[in-house]
Amino acid sequence: MISDFCKKEDFPIFKKKFNGKSMVYLDSTATTQKPKQVLDAIVNYYEGSNANVHRSVYKLADDATELYENSRSNVAEFIGARSNEIVFTRNTTESLNLLSFTIGESLRKGDRILITSMEHHSNILPWMRLEERGIYLDYVGFDKEGHLDIEDLKSKLKRETKIVSVTHQSNVLGTINPIEEIGKAAKENGSTFIIDAAQSVPHMPFKMKEQYDFVAFSGHKMLGPMGIGVLYGKYHLLEEMPPFNRGGEMIKDVDFHSAIFEDPPIKFEAGTPNVEGAVGLAAAVYYLKKIGMEEVRRHEKHLTSMTLKKLEDLKNVKYYGPRNAEERGGVIAFNVEDSSNLKNDLESKNVKVDRLYHSHDIATFLDERNVYVRSGHHCAEPLMRSLHLPGTARASFYVYNGEEDVEAFVSSLGEL
Amino acid sequence: MYNDEVMDRYQNPAKNGKMEDFEIKIDEASSTCGDRVVLYIKTDGNGRISNMMWQGEGCILSVVSTDIFCENAIGKEINSLRGQDDLAFVENFPIKISPGRINCVMLPLRAFRRGTKEK
Ligand SMILES: Cc1ncc(COP(=O)(O)O)c(C=O)c1O
Repeated sequence: MISDFCKKEDFPIFKKKFNGKSMVYLDSTATTQKPKQVLDAIVNYYEGSNANVHRSVYKLADDATELYENSRSNVAEFIGARSNEIVFTRNTTESLNLLSFTIGESLRKGDRILITSMEHHSNILPWMRLEERGIYLDYVGFDKEGHLDIEDLKSKLKRETKIVSVTHQSNVLGTINPIEEIGKAAKENGSTFIIDAAQSVPHMPFKMKEQYDFVAFSGHKMLGPMGIGVLYGKYHLLEEMPPFNRGGEMIKDVDFHSAIFEDPPIKFEAGTPNVEGAVGLAAAVYYLKKIGMEEVRRHEKHLTSMTLKKLEDLKNVKYYGPRNAEERGGVIAFNVEDSSNLKNDLESKNVKVDRLYHSHDIATFLDERNVYVRSGHHCAEPLMRSLHLPGTARASFYVYNGEEDVEAFVSSLGEL
Repeated sequence: MYNDEVMDRYQNPAKNGKMEDFEIKIDEASSTCGDRVVLYIKTDGNGRISNMMWQGEGCILSVVSTDIFCENAIGKEINSLRGQDDLAFVENFPIKISPGRINCVMLPLRAFRRGTKEK
């Protein structure tokens, strides 16, 4: 087990039996399971402090506001930011859309946005919508092992490139991108630098750097509840930006035909916020801090290199992304070769087919053995196109996984 | 994987191949799965199917479902095939289908409905 501070027993869902057997949950890249500490924090909030925040003057409302704002400070501290730079959103997707509808709107025809071919759809579609206005979207490529092509990135940084938005860790290849270096290049070019940290903040120590303008991540991918996400933004940038949604909470003063908006971050939090989500996320952050993010990373790296080694022994399995666990996170996309007659027959008729099992079939096969992996395109279709694959299966790890999960996964896969 | 009936059909499909003298050709692709299936249909001129074949690639469930669909279609009326109940269609598949895989099994029926709309 990872440390004294994290036990599988902390996670009530692992008590559940499926056909009398425990599950092997290997889909934490999609969402993580929740420890009792997080669930308790949410229940305690509703049982002890529930009121609308920032509005009323009675004690209970003060309690709720304090809890909400403390949660913000805890999240800020976790990534080395100040609390007034933390905007609560619904998830990474909403954080990135917020940027598209604020700084994205200020771009002009002929401006360019630079992203990579390994982005999740949520860091593609918010930018793609701007193409209708004559703004160009450029993609940085990657090499065979899934390392981002930094030379390609630098050559695509043009004078017109106003925004550079890059995933810190690929949710398919697992590649950890050199965001410090990319950020520096972006800033030297005068571009705004945005990080999709949905797969990094939950899994490794994250240190804020001067060159990071915006950072987006999701609570549900780091032991927290669904429906709470974070957008970090440099304060002066948040100040300059127009609001995203408008309504209650986010104003100082409203007249019949004009309004004065609140200061950041409240300016971006229109309407009643997700207080239970913020409280749950703060409890998750506390839980992760007790383990220590260095330890989280070490643990996942260990499980990853153990898995990669075992997969290399399975001759019919092909995995994607860097070979070296040092360069990747705990997410492994893979396929399994299919040697069935149909496809061989087609090949003998000179029909070219990739002889891989369909990823859904792999996932169903593993599901029958209570091993839960994701399959399909993982919300990264341009990435799949770059790999010339319709999809992959994907196994991913988190703090509650252990070597026994790796054993169960690999031995089940070996039966295929 | 799955059961012998499914795997046998997957490995030796009855209706896989190209048809030259088709009357209707339906191209169905599911980008979410990467599946791509082409249905070739020939009728007897009175709205009854005299032959149906398929080509393409997909997961085992969609391929097998498509092959069964083509085989069972022969001699049936287009409209009655279109009008089949989704639930019954999935239940008639040789193995029990988990909710996450229903779309795979539904692929040929959906394609057929879409491609024969105006007929
Ligand atoms: C790299 C990356 N970015 C963004 C997202 C989107 O996260 P959410 O669905 O929480 O908005 C994900 C989730 O899968 C992801 O892995």
